[in-house]
Amino acid sequence: MYVNILFLTSALLTVGCAVAMLIARNIMHSCIFLLGTLIGIAGLYVTLGADFVAVTQTMVYVGGIVILMLFAVMLTGGKEFVSRAQKLLGLIPAMGNKWSFGIAFLTSFVFVLSQFVLIKNIVKGVEVTKEAKPFVSTVEEIGELLLTDHVLAFELSSVLLLGALIGAAIIARPRKERVAND
Amino acid sequence: MISLVSYLAISLLLFFIGLTLMIARKNIVAILLGIELILNAAALNFVAYSRFAASNIDGHIFSLFVIVIAAAEAAVGLAIVIHYFQLKETIHIDEATELRN
Repeated sequence: MYVNILFLTSALLTVGCAVAMLIARNIMHSCIFLLGTLIGIAGLYVTLGADFVAVTQTMVYVGGIVILMLFAVMLTGGKEFVSRAQKLLGLIPAMGNKWSFGIAFLTSFVFVLSQFVLIKNIVKGVEVTKEAKPFVSTVEEIGELLLTDHVLAFELSSVLLLGALIGAAIIARPRKERVAND
Repeated sequence: MISLVSYLAISLLLFFIGLTLMIARKNIVAILLGIELILNAAALNFVAYSRFAASNIDGHIFSLFVIVIAAAEAAVGLAIVIHYFQLKETIHIDEATELRN
């Protein structure tokens, strides 16, 4: 019962905010709608019984990445690239013209359709369980798996994060130092 | 009532919207937003299959790694965008051809 209500709310929040992201004129609004989408996906994780993933999603995405995106938008001005000449679709899409949106819709539709047919033909042998599994805490199991079966990927991801952090700090450091060094 | 197909439908919609966002927008930050949506759709698929079609929770591990990769990608991508904006004073994707003067 409660799971159904949570699922419906989260699904509506996710898809509605994603559509709003697509048609928002202001890129700042797009970032805020991304926040709603990510919270909705965290709710979907809860309905799937993935408590640890839901909390990680909330902390990393909602608390980290969206804030980073907002910083980037504000530092780069969030300029709109709307050509004022267009009439009909000029109200809806931001930062693109109607041709780019039309071609993008067509391309992604064809791509998704082809992938769908491909996967449907390949994965016919997946057994889907009908009965709902009981909700149990997954934290212990995830911790064990991360340090036994997936330990190589775990360590590699830590190296990747360190590299990304150092790389981001080097790339985005202020230009004044560089001018002074030159 | 809640089946695997409903989760797959949500994930499909998210992927579709993210791909459209990525192709259609001209602002580099908006393209990064589309990439985030696509990564989230993939992670949602992993967890959904882990619940409905598998007896283990390896899908959770995969979605955690997807989150880690997304964090690293967002950090580096936004650093490049900010650096490019400092150099060229624009973030239009069609004009972004070089990263140094």
